[in-house]
Amino acid sequence: MYVELKNINKHFGNFKASDNVSFGIEKGKLIGLLGPSGSGKTTILRMIAGLETPDNGDIIIDGKVINNVPASKRGIGFVFQSYALFRYMTVFENIAFGLRVLKKSDSEIKDRVAELVKLIGLDGLENRYPSQLSGGQRQRVAFARALAPNPQLLLLDEPFAAIDAKVRQELRHWLKEMIAKLGVTSIFVTHDQDEAIEVADEIIIMNKGRIDQIGKPLDVYSTPKTAFVASFFGQPSIFKDYSKFRRFDAVEGAEQTIVRPEFVKVTKKTEVQKFKNSAEEGVVTDVAFRGSGIELSVLVNGVTLTARRGFDEPSVSVGEKVDVFIYRIFVTAGDNAYLLENKSLREPVVVI
Amino acid sequence: MYKETKSSKAVKWFLIGVSVLFVVLMLLLPLITVITEAFKQGFAVYEKAVTDNYTVKAFWLTLEATALAVVINTVFGLSAAWSLTKFHFRGKKILTTLIDLPVTVSPIIAGLIFLLTFGRQSPIFPLLQDWDVKIVFAVPGIVLATIFVTFPFISRELIPVLEARGNDEEEAAALMGAKGFTIFRKITFPHIKWAFLYGVVLCAARAMGEFGAVSVISGHLRGKTNTLPLHVEILFNEFQYVPAFAVASILVLLAIFILIARSLIEYNGKKKNKVEP
Amino acid sequence: MKRTNRSVIPGFGLTTGITLAILSIVVLIPLASLVVFTAHMSLDEIVATITRDRVLSSFRVSFVTAFVASLINAVMGVVLAWVLVKYSFPLKRLIDGMIELPFALPTAVAGIALTTLTADTGLVGGFFAKFGVKIAFTQAGITVALVFIGIPFVVRAVQPVLEKLDPAYEEAAGVLGASRSRIFWKIVFPEIVPAALTGFGLAFGRCLGEYGSVVFIAGNKPFETEIVPLIIMSELQEYDYASATTIALVMLVASFVTLFLVNLIQTRNTRILKGGA
Repeated sequence: MYVELKNINKHFGNFKASDNVSFGIEKGKLIGLLGPSGSGKTTILRMIAGLETPDNGDIIIDGKVINNVPASKRGIGFVFQSYALFRYMTVFENIAFGLRVLKKSDSEIKDRVAELVKLIGLDGLENRYPSQLSGGQRQRVAFARALAPNPQLLLLDEPFAAIDAKVRQELRHWLKEMIAKLGVTSIFVTHDQDEAIEVADEIIIMNKGRIDQIGKPLDVYSTPKTAFVASFFGQPSIFKDYSKFRRFDAVEGAEQTIVRPEFVKVTKKTEVQKFKNSAEEGVVTDVAFRGSGIELSVLVNGVTLTARRGFDEPSVSVGEKVDVFIYRIFVTAGDNAYLLENKSLREPVVVI
Repeated sequence: MYKETKSSKAVKWFLIGVSVLFVVLMLLLPLITVITEAFKQGFAVYEKAVTDNYTVKAFWLTLEATALAVVINTVFGLSAAWSLTKFHFRGKKILTTLIDLPVTVSPIIAGLIFLLTFGRQSPIFPLLQDWDVKIVFAVPGIVLATIFVTFPFISRELIPVLEARGNDEEEAAALMGAKGFTIFRKITFPHIKWAFLYGVVLCAARAMGEFGAVSVISGHLRGKTNTLPLHVEILFNEFQYVPAFAVASILVLLAIFILIARSLIEYNGKKKNKVEP
Repeated sequence: MKRTNRSVIPGFGLTTGITLAILSIVVLIPLASLVVFTAHMSLDEIVATITRDRVLSSFRVSFVTAFVASLINAVMGVVLAWVLVKYSFPLKRLIDGMIELPFALPTAVAGIALTTLTADTGLVGGFFAKFGVKIAFTQAGITVALVFIGIPFVVRAVQPVLEKLDPAYEEAAGVLGASRSRIFWKIVFPEIVPAALTGFGLAFGRCLGEYGSVVFIAGNKPFETEIVPLIIMSELQEYDYASATTIALVMLVASFVTLFLVNLIQTRNTRILKGGA
């Protein structure tokens, strides 16, 4: 493990920002620290950077406990959510700042900055001030500035939060590529599930100061271990009792049922569907166009579920009676989440 | 703005009329009075009053007290702004209140407290005498009183600006290992430059014009502890109206200079802030 | 004073140290000496001092004139702020700059100018003398001087509120068919009130302690035109430090109470200003 946190606790007044947090990160990985606002993810990042001090517990980087090492000596690059670019310095001076502090020679600084400016694709904009750059460009400068002194660990606090949706997508890919190319161990904080899934090698999910689950994006998404994680991803429809949906096993102490849109198949009465027999009848209550498809709300057994259909499928309209088949559901009991499959999937089916 | 009706137009010009009348009567007329009274007996008399030995001495003392007040309040203002906006600590609220206290204290009381602290009634007075230090009825007292009445002028311009901006840039620089002074010089100061200058101008304006506090502490020693405003008072009370207004005209000139500087700084500061994200 | 959280930004010890040191020397110790000095006296002595007829009447004169002047300023300040924000007319910028004059012009200069203007021989005083109205050397004169001193406080408190006031409110009301006067009284006026109150409070606090501009125009007749700062000054000139200090202490408490009330209003006010965004 390259970065390790052991039993970290941190309070702000009565607020418990970190509750016995422990995890480890391998060298060269890109880690997404994911959680809703107030979950304590930024606090973790700031403690690793040395911007905050944990109440107790150890922070270990490269085998050394660094709790008492001053922030500036930890060899960490930090990208602030606001970027915190020095607005009275040019792009060049911003990137050069860390090198100047290290008393590098002018020629060395010039070479390194030129290299980085090229890397971030801002050649020719070295003499601009941050206010003359677009959001995406500022983010790249912040990235280059953090990288300039060759940090062993790069920390990014909500790196895409301040950028509009269109550029964000592009920057995500760019950042992932860039970090893979440089091989620098990185941790970024985000509250956006899509962002974490798309960008990170591994996701750490935080809730209320605790770590709920750590794992590869796909694993975390498809097999949530806690009630919180199960409900956090996707665009879940959440309701209490699933007993009306007959084809699922019972779980003792079940509290919540979580159904993601991709778990639901909605078909018109006239359409052919494999599990038509075990589908239940529902009524379409809303049809909305989303960029990638059509989103439906259907009322089944007194529960409203969200489902998706493609543009190429025959259209459905509000009030239409449809067949609704649910492949699987998450059921939570206490802090645990269970994945239940529709029993029909295991039964031999006769295609009509 | 929607369309103006006839009656709203009447209201508009009535309000403008009232405002202009008020400004002319209350603000412009006194200003003009100072100038006309000063030149009532011709330029020669004016020149004589302005170049009078006591006037020149009072001018230099005013300048000295103003300069010292600006310097001390600058050191204080920058320190307080840094301490109060960059760190969290217990007692911060109380400290902020204490800094603002002096502006609510009557100038007379401001003078009085220094009289009590360093004057004949003070327990430390014998000590001061042993060291041969004169504060009350001397220049140091004037300087202290001036600092007191202008105390929060610079810090209270800086603190809101720094608070509004947050500490991200400073933190980023510190993370890269920059030293405190480097951070201040390269990152913080460029941002507060205009607010700082604005504070300096306000501080200088009040310092050069301070009357009550200095009046109590100075002892009115002509040629020794007389500032320009005190000199004006003495002349006026001796019924030497023309010289009094002549000396006052110097202060009017300084005031106009300060108003122009203030406008320029405000304009530049606003322009600068617009460029920023 | 202990930091509750370590910060990466350097300079906490140095800046907080300088801040506390200067604050102690310039503000805390001198103010404490006022309290220490009064602590020597018995309660009876204190009560006897401040209940002397002359002192009581000076308090009355101070409060009445400061109150009336601040009331005039509250009204004129709102009018001026309104005119400066909502209308455009020739020389507007100049008038806007002039508002700041009382901050820049030394009070003593304002004092002698206003006295000369409002004396029976002066331009304004002469006009009123025809109707048998005296201004200089009466409470009216004191009020005039205090109006001069206090006007920028109200204007500068109300102006930003009017500037931030979303024109969409007024437009929306206009679209709904509300009359102009109705829009003003129901929508704009309630927004201005807290700001005007803040300005009123600040002006009132300043006026209570004002000395320089008042000393000339008041004439200092006991029981008639003697305000509290003047009586403190005259006690000092008679070397009655005990009386001066006692009266000063009461005065100080009065200004702190004013400041406290202003702060209460201001907190509310800031919430409104920030809430709009």
